[in-house]
Amino acid sequence: MVNPRLLVVTGAGGVGKTTISAAVATTAARAGWRTLVVTVDPAKRLATALGVELGSEPSTDPHEPNLAAAMLDAAGSWRIVARRHADPEVADRLIDNEFFVAATNHFPASQSYAAADEAAGFVGSGEWDLVVVDTPPASGGIEFFTAPAQMTDLVGGRLLRFLTGSRIPGRNLFFRAAARPALRIADAVLGAHLLERVAQFLMDLRTTYDGVASRAATMERLFRAATTLVVTTSDAGPVGEAARFFDELPEVASEPRAVVFNRSIPEEWIGATAPEGADPLLVANLEAWSAESERQRDLRSTFLRRYRSDMVSIPLMKTPPTGHDQLASMIPSELMSILGIDNH
Amino acid sequence: MTRERLDLVTGKGGSGRSAVAAAMAVAAVDDGARVLAIDMDATGGLPAHLGMRSARFESRVRGGGGSGEPTEVRPGLSVIAIDRAAALSEYLRVQMSVPTAATVGPIARIFDALASTAPAIREIVTLGKVLWEVKRGGWDLVVGDAPSTGQIPGYLRAPRTIGELVPKGRIRNQADWMDSILTDGSATTRLVVVSVLEELPVTETSELVSWLDSEFPSIHRTIVANRALSPLPATEPSGDGITDHAADLQRALVAEQSDWEKVLSPDHTLPALFGPTGPEDVVAHLLEGVATW
Repeated sequence: MVNPRLLVVTGAGGVGKTTISAAVATTAARAGWRTLVVTVDPAKRLATALGVELGSEPSTDPHEPNLAAAMLDAAGSWRIVARRHADPEVADRLIDNEFFVAATNHFPASQSYAAADEAAGFVGSGEWDLVVVDTPPASGGIEFFTAPAQMTDLVGGRLLRFLTGSRIPGRNLFFRAAARPALRIADAVLGAHLLERVAQFLMDLRTTYDGVASRAATMERLFRAATTLVVTTSDAGPVGEAARFFDELPEVASEPRAVVFNRSIPEEWIGATAPEGADPLLVANLEAWSAESERQRDLRSTFLRRYRSDMVSIPLMKTPPTGHDQLASMIPSELMSILGIDNH
Repeated sequence: MTRERLDLVTGKGGSGRSAVAAAMAVAAVDDGARVLAIDMDATGGLPAHLGMRSARFESRVRGGGGSGEPTEVRPGLSVIAIDRAAALSEYLRVQMSVPTAATVGPIARIFDALASTAPAIREIVTLGKVLWEVKRGGWDLVVGDAPSTGQIPGYLRAPRTIGELVPKGRIRNQADWMDSILTDGSATTRLVVVSVLEELPVTETSELVSWLDSEFPSIHRTIVANRALSPLPATEPSGDGITDHAADLQRALVAEQSDWEKVLSPDHTLPALFGPTGPEDVVAHLLEGVATW
């Protein structure tokens, strides 16, 4: 019995993470892995390329029997968390609560937590050999991996302890705590007993603590055992994000397994010259692409000198991929063997 | 005396909004304006494009109090990167009139913890700093390198969200004042949305513009297409593999971009820059393009 594998695909926004996730998943499925790709907010064209109606429940394309796809709805997932971990009456109160609605939208880790929570469920279900998770764009970074801890902290609650001065607060404690000077001033500044309303919300949320904490512990175990793939383009911003990953990820999960430089211009173009007598427009065009290719290569070299990671370049394509064949053709076999998902 | 102008520059991650914001600030200075450029989410992108290593560092070293006094990087151009903790304590002291340093500390910790739960607290502190600079005057133009297209509605709407949650009190008064700067025309507020010509950024831009139409019709908007490739006219093939491949690629990408440009219908288009390496080079190349906005 082989344990299901979790592959987390991460990197800055706009580098093609979702496409790479779908392409790796398609390639793995064709190599015999029962594969699920979990994504957040894909481009319409990619959803079409995957050939499935994306929804919270995994759905399978009849032409790719080993491949399923699921799309997350972060707000919906939070409601599931409340239903799963709180008493029904408390869950109702939580779901209608203005702060719960706000926390769903604003708590920076909420989308990541929801994605991690669902991924944990899929990995635990035993239905898949491989679960590929495309990290949410809003957090993009390391936050995906720290979300379980942040969530436990919110529920557990640093804030609740501030407001009540107690680790296991009861409903009446806030009022005693409100006699503390800082809280009294804060309450005056905020007005309208905002703090008291927040404290009451947090006390309801606190009832989910045991469930959330044990779920978070499961997620953290999964992350430590997961394979992480960092995707970037050869541009300064995304490469900076990728560097942050290599610096910070080992603390919360494991070292990234490899970096993919997506949308790379072929290195053979560097220094290439057009033949004698070619149209000047073509000469100028080639010069521009050659200079761009050189800039990309220099940036990659700088990165790789510092991080010495396994690296795969995926070339810039003329049009975004449409269909499974094009997705699968993006992924060099080298990448699959680096990730250890080449044959099953 | 002209009204204060506030330009908030947003865009999806990777759209190049920091470079565009920096170029807009420099172009206005070249035109004789006194400009304040603000890095709203302290990513360091804007300061780097203006030739500073880290404005956050500068403001910590020099400011002494709060999120720092602006650092003048060249005559007429000042820069601030908003450090959340520092901005919060300035907000409490200056705007909330919390009396002493001794009380600011504990209250700042409560606010900070609250920001992870209560809506709009984090956003109101950042937006408050920007609008405070507009309100106190002294700048012809304030340019904000703003949060991404996905997050900017939460920021613009923060004063109203506070208004809905808190019926009265000091924070409510501040929120009302901020919302009126955004809407009553006492300053000219504009949202500059930068997008590359691909499906997701273009879709997000359209969604943001519809949202703005319904929530903030008084805010001007300028849509900017960034990294547009220039068309390559038809030519005889050269017969050389790489030369013709590069031409095919250019033409295919231009065709793809032009489809998305029709959907976006930008007010301005900035060129893709091949070759420049440093952030300051990028700004120098964009200057001409933004000078007339």
